Amino acid sequence: MTELNRRNTTILLLILWSITPLIWQLYTSFCSPEALISPFENIAKRWTLDNYRQVFQADPPFWRYLVNSSLVGIYTTFITLLISIPAAYSLVKLPRRIANVSKLVLTSVALFPYVLLFLALLEFARSLNLGNNLLALSIPYSGLSLPLAILLISSAIKDLPADLEEAAKIDGLNLWQRFRWILVPLIAPACASTAIIVFLFSWNEYPIALTWISKDELLTLPVAIARLAGSSVYSVPYGAYAAATVIGSIPLIIIMIIFQKQIVSGLTQGAVKG
Amino acid sequence: MIILLLLPAIVLIILIFCVPLIRYLWLSLHASSVVTGLEALPNYGANWFRLINDDRFWQDALQTSRFATLSVSLEIVLAFAIALLLDQRFRARGSIRVISLLPWALPTTVMALGWRWIFNSPYGPIDQLLILFNSNIESSNFLSNPDIAWITTVVADVWKTTPFVALILLAGLQTIPNDLYEAFRLEGGTKRQAIFRITIPLLKPYFLISIIFRLAQAFGVFDLIQVMTGGGPAGSTESLAMYAYINAMRFLDFGYSSTIMIASFILLVAAGTISFLLINFFRKVIY
Repeated sequence: MTELNRRNTTILLLILWSITPLIWQLYTSFCSPEALISPFENIAKRWTLDNYRQVFQADPPFWRYLVNSSLVGIYTTFITLLISIPAAYSLVKLPRRIANVSKLVLTSVALFPYVLLFLALLEFARSLNLGNNLLALSIPYSGLSLPLAILLISSAIKDLPADLEEAAKIDGLNLWQRFRWILVPLIAPACASTAIIVFLFSWNEYPIALTWISKDELLTLPVAIARLAGSSVYSVPYGAYAAATVIGSIPLIIIMIIFQKQIVSGLTQGAVKG
Repeated sequence: MIILLLLPAIVLIILIFCVPLIRYLWLSLHASSVVTGLEALPNYGANWFRLINDDRFWQDALQTSRFATLSVSLEIVLAFAIALLLDQRFRARGSIRVISLLPWALPTTVMALGWRWIFNSPYGPIDQLLILFNSNIESSNFLSNPDIAWITTVVADVWKTTPFVALILLAGLQTIPNDLYEAFRLEGGTKRQAIFRITIPLLKPYFLISIIFRLAQAFGVFDLIQVMTGGGPAGSTESLAMYAYINAMRFLDFGYSSTIMIASFILLVAAGTISFLLINFFRKVIY
């Protein structure tokens, strides 16, 4: 019995540790400025929706950043899958030694701290005039997501029985038909996990978005939030910030709840096979 | 024919990963800044001499290593405990997994802003609680004390990335067959012994991949520090990536910024090799 109690206590601690900072943001976002300064005293006007009003009436309104981030996320996911599915397929078909070497290269590239690439990528953007363009921003994002995506998808293709494709070949299906009707449907679960992880990455990415996008109405969510933080170091309107972080978190919490299985399986697959 | 399918991926990966590194190497041997009118002129290693004598660079290198070492060690220990917990069967395990993964899924900048408020003095909750319990304390000044500020960034980093490491270790735990524990128990081993004799040795590859991955990411820490402290107070939390960023975007000195990035990369590889050797060394001592 004591062991069970101990376990329940640890679970409770884990939950508290994970969500207390989030709850505190939620609480702060509904506080009036006076309540923020003295949280333990009695004040007449403690609760307010002003913070949210302020965030939505800003110019450009805050939901704009959510739309921008979603767009970049969708573009990135699409491009990444489009390139990584054929690449993963050919990686599986290559001779074993070449495939092993490429996997090693992909793994070490996936581990690279990509922050260090921002300056050269910015030079690309300047020389090819790709700045302030959400579609263009998804090109480096796709490049950064590719190593992990190829590793995840190729391990899914490897798990398929080899006879399956042979049979389809004998039936006279060409490469494209085999892709469309045999391969892609069978690896759909792996593609879904990969897609969600790539989407999360591009939604959360900061340094490249910071340097590629300068127009207010094109900012992605992380950059917009960081800009709030940098706007003034003193007398920061934290109530409004908290409201912004809450609004910025809600879409991700929904994604986490809907796709929890895919996210967990994608991450663990990456760890086991990568 | 098959290789053609691989081509777009190869091109994009080379373009995004390899070309920048070559470009940095080239730029690090040139002066390219506002002074030169943003033109690259060869300066025969002057950037590298400047780097060796640049106290701010070495201070940031020290700070980055300190940050990475402390947060990765804490993450591994905490994540191992969480993974052991989540590996057991209990009700609502799925929802608890989602809840514990939430910090990892949220954008770093969003929660860095949240943590900045939590550590705010004197209005943040931690300060308020301290004042409530001990009215002698004026304010803790977490974010304005150079000795403490970096610890607060470690706390935020550990909070954010532990769930991810826990998930990787959990995947490893699930590959260990139950029979092993059963046999060990029949031989008279205790649960605690089983963790040290079975779980940790078999989990080694998972520990290794998490440590390498997290070390690389922590070494490139940028968003978190930029939003939480802006590198302050007195530059005490500034990371190498931030210094490179400041040189490029504020001082417009691209040659020196590239030098810092190449140097950071070399330091990272060195740190990775050292920690790999250390892990192997300790493994031999223990087992």
